[in-house]
Amino acid sequence: MNFNRRRFLQAFGASAAVAAVPSIAGAAEGTQGTHVVVVGGGFAGATAAKYLRMWSDKKIRVTLIDPKASHTSCVLSNLVLNGNITLNELTLSYDSLRSFYGVEVIRDHVTELHPDGAGVTLKNGGDLRCDRVVIATGIAFKKPQGDVNYKETPHAWIAGSQTKLLARQVRGLSAGDTFVMTIPKGPYRCPPGPYERACVVADMLQQKGGGKVFVLDENDGIQAEKATFSKAFGGLYSEIIEYVPNATVESVDSANHEVRADGRLYAGDVVNIIPRQRALWFVRKAGLTKGGDGWAPVDPLTYASTVPGFENVHVIGDSQTSYQPKSAHMANSQAKVCADAIIRSLAGLPNDSLERKQNITTNSACYSPITSDEASWLTVNYAYDTAAGRMMKVHGGEAEEWSRESYQEMFAWASNLFTDSFH
Amino acid sequence: MTTDSIKALCLGLFTVGIAQTAMAADDPTINRLLASQCAQCHGTNGHAVGDMDGLSDESFKDLYEDLMDMQSEDRPEDIMDHQALGYTEDQIRRIALYFGTRSGKAGEVPEFGSEEKKEEEDEEDEKEYEEKDDD
Repeated sequence: MNFNRRRFLQAFGASAAVAAVPSIAGAAEGTQGTHVVVVGGGFAGATAAKYLRMWSDKKIRVTLIDPKASHTSCVLSNLVLNGNITLNELTLSYDSLRSFYGVEVIRDHVTELHPDGAGVTLKNGGDLRCDRVVIATGIAFKKPQGDVNYKETPHAWIAGSQTKLLARQVRGLSAGDTFVMTIPKGPYRCPPGPYERACVVADMLQQKGGGKVFVLDENDGIQAEKATFSKAFGGLYSEIIEYVPNATVESVDSANHEVRADGRLYAGDVVNIIPRQRALWFVRKAGLTKGGDGWAPVDPLTYASTVPGFENVHVIGDSQTSYQPKSAHMANSQAKVCADAIIRSLAGLPNDSLERKQNITTNSACYSPITSDEASWLTVNYAYDTAAGRMMKVHGGEAEEWSRESYQEMFAWASNLFTDSFH
Repeated sequence: MTTDSIKALCLGLFTVGIAQTAMAADDPTINRLLASQCAQCHGTNGHAVGDMDGLSDESFKDLYEDLMDMQSEDRPEDIMDHQALGYTEDQIRRIALYFGTRSGKAGEVPEFGSEEKKEEEDEEDEKEYEEKDDD
């Protein structure tokens, strides 16, 4: 085990012994006796549950519902492919939320949303009544044309067994083999993620003696860290990676490991289909995606749904749409704005004062492995634009070059993101 | 008393005045929310884990000045140079004030204004004095 990973595990295992925070009395007092139900325990949901409890001085009762016993982080999961990290190390438990913050965690599915967030119906456990609902259920996939079987051609875009499967497949590649991957038309979860994956697999093939990586991008160009990935694809991996923009996927034949895109047939020893995405069926069925092209439109001052009749339903993270990228870091960021807004609203404080509008910010920072021991980074800041009435990008930047130093920082970044969200 | 020392005294009183008024006027959950946006990398309430700088022990003055310095880099290079550019000067003041208040180190008030602005102001002040000298 190398130094970075050891530090990563130490930090992560330590679980943040965060001291109890003195509340801001005016806001916390008024929330006594209220109940918020958070649906979905990924980065968005866990952060919302934690900050609702912490900032309300534990006065708001918070219930977190997720069908799984723990969350598996997509962040860093491309490193499972080359074995630099294991899935166990990316497993985030709800123990701290439960024991330290007093979040009630229920392992169940939500089958129905009551009118205007007055409660939810659970598959196994009846009805839960509440004052606000926060939906943080992440992404669902649109099925591509053809005969798609993710057990043959994995997406590995929700971390877990799919990641394990793709890791097994790419580790089985030999010199001269071909890896084909598809990148969906945006918006999709984690804009730099697919390009990062292409680099990780190209690096693995290069170490084995060469091979081919076809990157079939439905978009008209690289969607994030364009300078970095252009340099990696065109320089370091120019012998291996063939980047194809505007490669609209026409059909997938999983059994034969084939993809037809933009009129051309691609066959691979391993085929990774990252499908187009939208909000979960439950969110769409409830009517929350009306006018959002498959995603839930929200007011970024509160993350309350803008669909009439859903004023007390908040949607955060990948499920919502508000001119911001879909990433774990961003989901954490939005969850805090949402938690602040819910506390203020339950305490009778306004969320639309000019002072608050001028200070609504979110950000995303992200490190991407480019080789087995070097990484790059990108950063982007968003702020509420009072004239436009929406979030606007105010600044962005990316690393001038990938480095070993950034590879180390990547673990520090991730362990803090994991801890701030789950511990 | 020289004009310079009077000028320094006036400026000092003026900045303390601004800080106190601003502290009293800030909506507290807004500053807390702004500051929480540092926690993804620097830990909840600035308590970082692993190899990352914490913010929990920072003073109002140091954090404000550090962020303003990062923001005024001629060529932003580090990840924090870029992050700092995502905030207005008033937002940086609020973030720094939040952490400084929590650490009990908000007593020493930073000199507000970016280096550039300060230089411009100094130049203007100098001109004013020069003109007065001419009279």
